[in-house]
Amino acid sequence: MASIALVTDSTADISQEVRDKLGISMVPLKVSFGEETFLDNITLQPAQFYQKLTAFTAGLPKTSTPSPADFYEVFKKLTDEGRSVISVHLSSSLSGTYQAALIAQSMLEGEGDVTVIDSKSASYGYGNQVVAAAEMAQTGASKEEIIDEIHRLRGEMQLYFMVDTLEYLQKGGRIGKASAVLGSLLNIKPILSIDDDGSIFPVEKVRGTKRAMARITEMVATHFQGAPVDVTVAVTPGYTSGVAEMAEMLKNQLNIKRYLEAEIGPVVGTHAGPGTIGLFVTPAR
Amino acid sequence: MSKRFLNGSEWAAMILAGAERLSRNAERVNALNVFPVPDGDTGTNMNLTMTAGVAELTNKPSDEVGRAAEVLSKGLLMGARGNSGVILSQLFRGFSRALSGERELDVPLFANGLQQGVDTAYKAVAKPVEGTILTVAREAARHGVLISRRTTDLAEWMQEVHAKALETLARTQEMLPVLKQVGVVDSGGQGLVYLYEGFVDFLQGGADTADLVRQQPAAPAAAPVPAQGAAAKAQSKLATESIAFPYDMEFFIQRISSAAPFPERTFRQALERDGDSVILIQDDDIIKVHVHSRRPGDVMNLALTYGEITHIHILNMQEQHRELLQPESQPIAAAPEALRPMDQADGLGLEAATGIPHVEYGTEGVTASPESEPNPDVYEMASYGVVAVSVGDGNAELFRSLGVDIVISGGQSMNPSTEDLLGAVSSLSTHHVFLLPNNPNIIMAAKQAAELADKQVTVIPTKTIPQGLAAMLAFQENDSEAANVERMNKALERVVTGQVTQAVRDTTMDGLQIKEGHFIGIQDKTIVVSAPTQAEACRELLTNLLASGGDMVTVLTGEDADAQETEELEAWLEQQFPDVEVEVHEGGQPLYPYLFAVEA
Repeated sequence: MASIALVTDSTADISQEVRDKLGISMVPLKVSFGEETFLDNITLQPAQFYQKLTAFTAGLPKTSTPSPADFYEVFKKLTDEGRSVISVHLSSSLSGTYQAALIAQSMLEGEGDVTVIDSKSASYGYGNQVVAAAEMAQTGASKEEIIDEIHRLRGEMQLYFMVDTLEYLQKGGRIGKASAVLGSLLNIKPILSIDDDGSIFPVEKVRGTKRAMARITEMVATHFQGAPVDVTVAVTPGYTSGVAEMAEMLKNQLNIKRYLEAEIGPVVGTHAGPGTIGLFVTPAR
Repeated sequence: MSKRFLNGSEWAAMILAGAERLSRNAERVNALNVFPVPDGDTGTNMNLTMTAGVAELTNKPSDEVGRAAEVLSKGLLMGARGNSGVILSQLFRGFSRALSGERELDVPLFANGLQQGVDTAYKAVAKPVEGTILTVAREAARHGVLISRRTTDLAEWMQEVHAKALETLARTQEMLPVLKQVGVVDSGGQGLVYLYEGFVDFLQGGADTADLVRQQPAAPAAAPVPAQGAAAKAQSKLATESIAFPYDMEFFIQRISSAAPFPERTFRQALERDGDSVILIQDDDIIKVHVHSRRPGDVMNLALTYGEITHIHILNMQEQHRELLQPESQPIAAAPEALRPMDQADGLGLEAATGIPHVEYGTEGVTASPESEPNPDVYEMASYGVVAVSVGDGNAELFRSLGVDIVISGGQSMNPSTEDLLGAVSSLSTHHVFLLPNNPNIIMAAKQAAELADKQVTVIPTKTIPQGLAAMLAFQENDSEAANVERMNKALERVVTGQVTQAVRDTTMDGLQIKEGHFIGIQDKTIVVSAPTQAEACRELLTNLLASGGDMVTVLTGEDADAQETEELEAWLEQQFPDVEVEVHEGGQPLYPYLFAVEA
């Protein structure tokens, strides 16, 4: 067992399988449909979530952050085993999760080594940081090396996502009012990204899904200029039309070393909406 | 009559004589329309521009010619509409600079004024085209300067200037191929010649103006200057009947906070059904309303259904013009200027420029105004405002859905004035406004409005509605001006515009034989298709538009489009171009049953 343990929360959208394989601990956020509350990516999986979301008529589901106690429990157990903890979380601009983890760290009162990192990203946009860190921990890398790598990956990542409608981001308060083109009569697919502060910002508005995908691919291809890259495409199960086409475009225009498709989980999905497609590209490791 | 000097009032009377001549011939100028589409509005535009200038001049008379010229120039600048109107306003802008501080006008000063006007107008036009009003103005001014040492008699001098203008006008056919093709002279140039013709007649003591003076009942001894009578008469001929919606209304609707959301779109449509210049600004529970209407009672009754009405201004614009005729009488509207509370001045900034006084009714019950208590959200988030000119309810709605704050109704054959644009720009709370003219004939007025505005205004030179939509799509609220300008201008290049309309005359254009009543397809500026039926014209035009690529077609249907024909066209597109995404929207524009936007 590696001496360094990785902790994250459920919005990294790392699958159960990968978490088990790499020994990543995950603290879930919660999502509630009325009175019914679920643990994100644990008691409610993405595929079920989008079905429920479509059927739910009483507004949008509510999401909530884990409590500091939830984190404390995990940190306590890992540090009691004598391990150093690196805990990476959803952008603090978008959620209080990072704050809860920080409070949990202070609750340890100096007992045990816990480093809490604000990923300044969301979904697999930091899931990939956590996965890379866990792989390094397994091969015996030092805490400093791992933390450096997390920051490097964030710095060099090209992140774009396209939503079917800005309505979900707007209703959840995750994007500025003035940036939203709401109720637009034209078939607009907004392309968004997350800035260095971890806030969502609109990049471009493109008409039609196909053209939006082509535009994202073009921007990423222009950035990397044929250098080898790792690509993750995050999708919402049940709303994946056109994703195969996008994969094809990416393969044609990028020098891909590793390609992965991830699922956008319930909490992120509540704020981004069905039909969201995320593209996370980093230089190949 | 031999005259060597004109004072301010005499000069004003000469201007009015010119304006009157132009007004009477506005339809003739319109008819010189070289394009076989119904956009013959040069005469209307020049006339409306001149009318605005004359209204200002009549309202603020001066015996000093320098002052009078300045007043006219300001009125023209604000009233300028259409490219010819803007050029006209620039001619007089330069003219007024040359006359600055002068009490009387003589031949050398007149010549200098014309020349400075030409210099100013040429500078204002990005790409001056020869064979237009500019050429006519330039040749006439040059000749005027040349002969200014030969004579001191104003009438004799002006007659020669006019003759030169007329001679140059005849030559515009040779300079501009499009004019030769159709066999007409330039319409803007013709407008200028009519103006000069009126000047000559006045200076020679011609019948027209003399008649006007004589017709004036009880030649107003009380009037400030004798010429005022003639002036006002001309003014009334020019303006009063051209005001279709005479009641200029402005008020607030104070919403009851528990009420349902304000149905802005419905309300706007109701106002536009029998009115124009509609501006609605909503801020929390207060809606500011501006409209020109024929039935103010109907507007009030409708507004009452949405909440309490406060802060009411109603002005009868026709009455205002009639009053200008009779300075000796004291009608009801003359006094309230003094009664008007200082802090209520010019709510929307529209009236400030006309110099027309407000009639003000009770202002009790005003608890807040958008200006004094801004919605913090609006101030924090919206760094830019956007004003767009568009025609058709559907198109206006498309622009609003893309984030345009104010859509000014206007376009082909109904160009908004600089003042209309300026009013909309001023009414926004933002310090920086993007302005999309969406028509080649409105770009100059937009640039003029940008210059006159007391805030930063960026004009994106959009020439068509599809270009405007593309520019709006590229607009990013959170980005810098420079980045937005680049982004929006780039977006214009990516869209090709197609327009289908019916030819209004037989002609040959761009190598095509065009028959009256046939349907023509225009790709950007060029007519590429002429066909006996609308469906054929649409199909041929789309084939042309898609020949050089493009994977997205937007169809904006006009008010004359036929639903079944639109469906057939859509089916045809999908069959012929299976890889192209097609979107159909009801645009509602007049004259053009179909507008197409093809994007690559």
